[in-house]
Amino acid sequence: MKEGQPSVVRRMQSGFRSSPRGFIFLSLLPALVLVLVFTYYPFLRGIVMAFQNYQLFDLTNVHFIGLDNFKTMFHDTKFQHAATNSVYWVFISLILQFSIGLTVALLMNKRFRGRGIFQGFVFYPWALSGFLIGLIWKWMFNSQIGVINDLLLHLGLIHERIGFLSDPSWAMTSVIVANVWYGIAFFAIMLLAALQSVPSELYEAGSMDGANGARKLFNITLPYIMPTVITTTLLRAIWIFNDPSIIYGLTNGGPAGSTHILSSLMLDKIMYGGDYGAASAIGIVMIGILLLYTIFYLTVTRSEKLGDF
Amino acid sequence: MVAKRNNKMLFGATAGILFLGVLAGCGDNGGSSGGSGGKVTLRMIESLTSPARTTVLNEMISKFEAANPNIKVELISPPFDQADNKIKTILGAKQTLDVLEVRDLTVSEFSNNGYLEPLNDYVKNWPDYATEVDVAKSVATLNDKLYFITNGMYQRQMFYRKDWFQEKGIPAPTNYQEMVDAAIKLTDPSKNRYGFSFRGGAGANGVPDTIIMNYNFDNIDHDDSTFLKDGKTMYSTPEAKQALELYVKLYKEGSPKDSINWGYQEQVQAFTSGVTGILLQDPDAIPALMEKMDVNTIGTAPMPKGPSGKAFTATGGGGWGITSYSKHKDEAFKLIAFLSSPEQNTYFAKKTALIPIHKSASEDPFFQTDMYKTLLLMASKPDEFVNLKANTKYPGTSQWGQVAMESGQSLLLGNVSVDDTLKKWDQFWADQRANLNK
Repeated sequence: MKEGQPSVVRRMQSGFRSSPRGFIFLSLLPALVLVLVFTYYPFLRGIVMAFQNYQLFDLTNVHFIGLDNFKTMFHDTKFQHAATNSVYWVFISLILQFSIGLTVALLMNKRFRGRGIFQGFVFYPWALSGFLIGLIWKWMFNSQIGVINDLLLHLGLIHERIGFLSDPSWAMTSVIVANVWYGIAFFAIMLLAALQSVPSELYEAGSMDGANGARKLFNITLPYIMPTVITTTLLRAIWIFNDPSIIYGLTNGGPAGSTHILSSLMLDKIMYGGDYGAASAIGIVMIGILLLYTIFYLTVTRSEKLGDF
Repeated sequence: MVAKRNNKMLFGATAGILFLGVLAGCGDNGGSSGGSGGKVTLRMIESLTSPARTTVLNEMISKFEAANPNIKVELISPPFDQADNKIKTILGAKQTLDVLEVRDLTVSEFSNNGYLEPLNDYVKNWPDYATEVDVAKSVATLNDKLYFITNGMYQRQMFYRKDWFQEKGIPAPTNYQEMVDAAIKLTDPSKNRYGFSFRGGAGANGVPDTIIMNYNFDNIDHDDSTFLKDGKTMYSTPEAKQALELYVKLYKEGSPKDSINWGYQEQVQAFTSGVTGILLQDPDAIPALMEKMDVNTIGTAPMPKGPSGKAFTATGGGGWGITSYSKHKDEAFKLIAFLSSPEQNTYFAKKTALIPIHKSASEDPFFQTDMYKTLLLMASKPDEFVNLKANTKYPGTSQWGQVAMESGQSLLLGNVSVDDTLKKWDQFWADQRANLNK
């Protein structure tokens, strides 16, 4: 660069120094564009599709059909069934995952030999993909060559093999069991981190006042980790609701659609029906449910407890 | 100040444009650059993916690239379960793609949407086309247009446990009634033994469709095999009801309860692990059987016949097609011709355990073994085992499997009657026919 020529860089720098807002905007621009292109555009496109006849096998015939997708959906027994299943799926999974996860976290909060190995085993499921877990449990639940039936038979608890995934009265329970196994790790990790942040002085003070284990748990530990509990259960409920991978891998919604939840039904409409309109309509209903759920949950649990969320 | 602001705006605009350029670069699907003297890149996608198959394909592609240094082939191998959807998405978005695997199940949908280049003019100058068997040609043809060069054919046969049948003193079943009776005789839940490797999950429609078709043997329209000569669907007859009742009996009395969910993997696994005694499957199951079982316990028999004493055999298949919007159609066909030559295709068929497409291949000693003998026997008796052209012209073909699976599961669970199920199936196909040439 020749002497005497004002450098472009210096000019720009002085420009930015005088106006931080422009600089901030430019710095944010790449991220903003990414979010717009990869989050909001598909989202808006999905909303549009929900009101269209959009079938993958006949793209020559895409047109607006008003609320037809929604009408068909609400009259579809499969949809009603999936909606009911979603409620069971979310709440039973969540309650069990949380209570077992909390127990495990409390156990791991004590010092004992082999704690590190034990922790490794507990956290391990979290590292697997839901789809893979579905496949593993699918073979375990298999009534002919599955290990679960085999164990129960040898223990003498059952005398006939149970079709865990083929009998509609068992299938939903079976997928929930797999889902609980998967989710325990998440709560154990999160709650353990919270437990380790409880100051030990509190417990010492509690002991001075003569509080026993249970009193300490309910009067010191739980109130202290409550913000974490609220945040994790809220987030986890949304994840469970949205994540069809275990069901997809285990039963694919079968037999005869008896284990579909809303998100797996939506996936099914896309993967096998090629019906993007119907799938988008389900998606919109799901977003509505989640919004209502979040508002309700935060109101009930008095969100000010959360502090900086 | 003004100058400064201008600079800033200029900078902002430049940054924005640059960034969009980067994005566009990400979004550009590695367009195949070509041109005179340049290297041509062909993008190719397979559908019937398995790790072993992909290895074989890559091996063949390397040979092709060595013989044609100016062509590079990029093979995309999505997992089998998602492959057809991935292909549909790519085609729908018109992303760069030259060669694709088309299946009998997808050819109607793809050609309907104008995604496929007819190959009739290309094969005129391809000498190997003359030695292709007719079935391989007809699987790939729709309304006189050839849409792909078949790379291997599927033809089901019966595999059965010779030792179990000897124990019970029963011969190999020759028709559906005998097969169901044998399955019930072999079933003994206390030993965890069942007669039939039933498939109620993905791909469930294969068996009921075949039984119903065979029970309507004399009335089936050979050019439109889901329908009868009078234009009604094959699901609308009293014979269809008999056939479907037999199918329900086969599940309830001769198959594991669990099999209502089974797909290909579980069905084959149950046979190889000694849970089931009869398996109806394509030759691509043979490697798993030979690897996991004592070969002396496996018998093969032709597909069961219907009451007429004859059987329809439907040959399925997939193969390589060219996208209608490909910029390198000639190079694409060059690749397909190479992969489909007698030498390469026979090699591919051996490795993937499918039926090769050239007449010369059946003389290969590999296909003379016990496992393949029955297939050749069936092919040699066309009056007894009448080959029916796969009915691929309806766009709904690719959805049918899912529809039949779900309603079939409801039927097997006893939630829906045989009559209502048949009504539903009849309706599906009647609608398909009504909408075909609207």
